[in-house]
Amino acid sequence: MSFLGYPRPDGSYGTRNYVLVLPGGLVSSKICQFVDGVRTIITPDYGGGRTQRDRQTVARVLVGLGRNPNVAGVILHGLHPAMQYPELKPAVLAQQIAASGKPVEVITAQPFRDTYEVLVRGIKAARRLVCEASHVRRQETGDEHLCLGVKCGVSDSTSGIAGNPAVGYLYDQVVAAGGTAMFGETTEIIGAEHLLAQRAASPEVAQRILAVSHDIEEKSKGYGQDIRTVNPIPANIEAGITTLEEKSLGAIAKAGSTPIQGVLAYGERPAGKGLYFVDNWMSMNSIFLGYAASGANLTLMVWGGGGYVADTILYPSLGVVAPLLWTTGNVNTYRACEESMDFCAGTVIDGSETLGQAGDRLLALVRQVASGSFTKTDTLSFQEANKVYFQDAAF
Amino acid sequence: MSEKRALALHPQDNLAVAAQDIAAGDPVRVVYKDGATQQIKAVEAVPFGFKIALADIAQGAELLKYGQVIGCASRPITAGQQIHVHNAQGQRA
Repeated sequence: MSFLGYPRPDGSYGTRNYVLVLPGGLVSSKICQFVDGVRTIITPDYGGGRTQRDRQTVARVLVGLGRNPNVAGVILHGLHPAMQYPELKPAVLAQQIAASGKPVEVITAQPFRDTYEVLVRGIKAARRLVCEASHVRRQETGDEHLCLGVKCGVSDSTSGIAGNPAVGYLYDQVVAAGGTAMFGETTEIIGAEHLLAQRAASPEVAQRILAVSHDIEEKSKGYGQDIRTVNPIPANIEAGITTLEEKSLGAIAKAGSTPIQGVLAYGERPAGKGLYFVDNWMSMNSIFLGYAASGANLTLMVWGGGGYVADTILYPSLGVVAPLLWTTGNVNTYRACEESMDFCAGTVIDGSETLGQAGDRLLALVRQVASGSFTKTDTLSFQEANKVYFQDAAF
Repeated sequence: MSEKRALALHPQDNLAVAAQDIAAGDPVRVVYKDGATQQIKAVEAVPFGFKIALADIAQGAELLKYGQVIGCASRPITAGQQIHVHNAQGQRA
């Protein structure tokens, strides 16, 4: 036994037990305010005026969130005009989510029916589904049902030698137990992509890792941008990170040491278990949403911070339904915001703990949170807006 | 002038990371992952988390951290100096 999770019809286990209403917007937000235990997404990225490829990404995110193990049931409505694109029609999304076996209710497939009527019907459906979800009991299960996603933020040089290696240790344990672990941030493998390619499970995967890294570097040049003026960000440099290569080499430490099974698109679900690289954007407003859509039932942030506190530390989960556990490798950062940080691996630097000891402590904490213990930001009611990671220009 | 600690992350590295604030003139014990140590003298202040040169590094020479290239010296660097954006740059654009 490693954690207590909510069993789902598709064999997965949730670490939380929410009802989800989609898409985001006024009606969904009001349903959430009216009914306890309901979540929705807050984003202007509905897909309107976007290319088919980008609309497919929106569809993948909505379906993926609905299928996330932390979701017990889903309500869909078609009130936003973008929901009339063929790939975003509520009935199309509902069918894909329902394939996971969980209850899905479509309130209206029509674009411009009476908004108030949809609100009332949505509230009624949400109350019914929340009651239904409350009958599901947590059961003992193993690390093979953990599905994790990670991002490092405001990295400093502690990130590469303590914060990220502690997550890397955690990832190695979870993958060894048959679980799933995802990492990403494509701009932040530049300079370290050769090391990741060497760890690919197949030549095709190795080629794909090198290709996505090359593509993002070329894309930046295509816009006339030197990627070094975008990344490392000023806060990294203030905290001692000098070059993008240095940042990348520290960043990949969070991927541990197991073979990379595949490269996923933003919001794509992994085909199997093990370690996956996700071709995603480093923004915290975007990346955790993508992991949740890929099926993550728990996410981790590795904060560097250089000892200073940003208000982003108070952001609750940006994975909407996946809890977010805040970690740091910097003891000064931990002391400065202990009420918001869940875990500190700075002991690895001062020599008071080995990496294995710190990593085991993190694994124990992950199992607790997976079993229902709150992360510190779980106690906050604020919901920050998400951004979908688009590939194409807006039209 | 108390002895300070710095961490070398790979035997081939020509720099180490300050494990605490280092002042100019401080003796620094550089600790390698296998427990081996060497001592250098800081010629200038190196704050916690920042990099200190373990050897003289010529302008244009590669900087090694984690045993990998993180960039090159944009001006000559002497052992015990801090390495950062004022004397180092990345090679990827």
